[in-house]
Amino acid sequence: MAALLQFRNVDIRYRSNEHGVHSIKDFFTSWKKPFQYKTILHQISFSLEEGRSLGVLGRNGSGKSTLLRAISGIIEPHQGEIICTASMAPVLALGVGLEMELTGFENMRLLLSLYGIKLTPERRDAIQQFSGLDDTTLKQPVKCYSSGMLARLSFSISFSQDCTIYIIDEVMAVGDLGFQQQCVDRIFALKQAGKSIIFVSHAPDEVARICDDAILLEQGRILSFGTAQEICKKYTELF
Amino acid sequence: MSYLTPLYALSKRNLILRYKHSFLGFLWGFLKPLLYLLIFLIVFGSQFTSTNDHILYITSGIIFWFFFANATTQGTHSIVQAAGLIKSIKLPTHFFPLAEIVSEFINLFMALAVYFCLMPAFGLQFNVHFFWLVPIVIVFAWFTYSVTLLLSCLHVYYRDVGLLWTTLQPALFYLTPIAFTEEHIPIRFMFIIKLNPFYYFIKLFRAPLYFHTAPDLLLFAKLAMATTLFWFIVNLLFKRMKNQFITSI
Repeated sequence: MAALLQFRNVDIRYRSNEHGVHSIKDFFTSWKKPFQYKTILHQISFSLEEGRSLGVLGRNGSGKSTLLRAISGIIEPHQGEIICTASMAPVLALGVGLEMELTGFENMRLLLSLYGIKLTPERRDAIQQFSGLDDTTLKQPVKCYSSGMLARLSFSISFSQDCTIYIIDEVMAVGDLGFQQQCVDRIFALKQAGKSIIFVSHAPDEVARICDDAILLEQGRILSFGTAQEICKKYTELF
Repeated sequence: MSYLTPLYALSKRNLILRYKHSFLGFLWGFLKPLLYLLIFLIVFGSQFTSTNDHILYITSGIIFWFFFANATTQGTHSIVQAAGLIKSIKLPTHFFPLAEIVSEFINLFMALAVYFCLMPAFGLQFNVHFFWLVPIVIVFAWFTYSVTLLLSCLHVYYRDVGLLWTTLQPALFYLTPIAFTEEHIPIRFMFIIKLNPFYYFIKLFRAPLYFHTAPDLLLFAKLAMATTLFWFIVNLLFKRMKNQFITSI
């Protein structure tokens, strides 16, 4: 099977502002060097093959979100190489990217355009159906939505893209039980259609259920890489 | 993926958000310069022989000033305000300040359309030199974009930049002969005026629009080259800093 995504000895580092330098005043009053570099991910190597699903587990602050950003191409590695031959769809976290003053329909158009996709009537109907939000709600500015409704809208927009790899970051934590089940059903449908999933969660049971392989991250390094069952066990032993 | 679709979507979003819940909407693009025009007619009225002449003089500068001022002010905050999108969607980061330029360019285009409809009544004569406006506006927009790119990038690290820029803008405005003529500037202060790049752009715009002559082509070439060099430096700086934006927004 062909590798869709390959990480080869990838290091990601950020400039950290230890002294909270956000103004010229802070710059002059901070005694030490204002900008220091902090390596978030060290020597990350793994590959994702076509049709396989990868889980990412780790404590808070272990570098999961940074890894996802590197996978999506949002940040470039400081060292190493990322080879990606597939199209990717990040499933947005709660309400991210939604413009509060715009209506649900306007947000659909905006977000899809940012992915370079046109909102066709068929796609609009599919998003509306998956989100379970009615016409009246979608014509309202999203600032009037509850957090569950925001989650429904942003996930439905993200899932409507046609890509090879879907990146799903802790989506199950929001939305009611019905919507969570709907998301799981969609993930399995995507898997059956031969799509790859990169799934981040703090719930090992979900990772074991959805993913074939998994990575356990600890302080920015890959502690273990193996089958999802194995890694979930190791993750549970961390606590 | 074509990058034109996201750029268009961001520019459209800017325009919708700016005028949503505003009763006068797009009309603000004309009302603001009009109010300024009225104030300047009262304050600086004595320096022109006729009011028509004065109106033509001011409008031929103020339209471009508002494009520059609005685009740079909104563009400075564009990266910080788009934190959520930048952290979750792969998009070229420079699109956020660029989208502000595009949406403000649409406003400029509409203001120019109104200008060409109304100004013949105040002495504007249509002439062949108007065609020079196209390359001048392009270089001017490019210059505005380069300034915005620099400000937006610095604003990520130093939030003073946004405040500093809004404070400096009135000074820059009065350092440019928009409401008054060059003859009113004392010779000993002329060097300060000549340090202001906006002064040269206004000079180029006024040639076809006010003096009905061809612009100084040597000045245009120098400005185009200076803008290219400026953009090149700013772009290098932006590329170096953009990977670090995520931790600071």
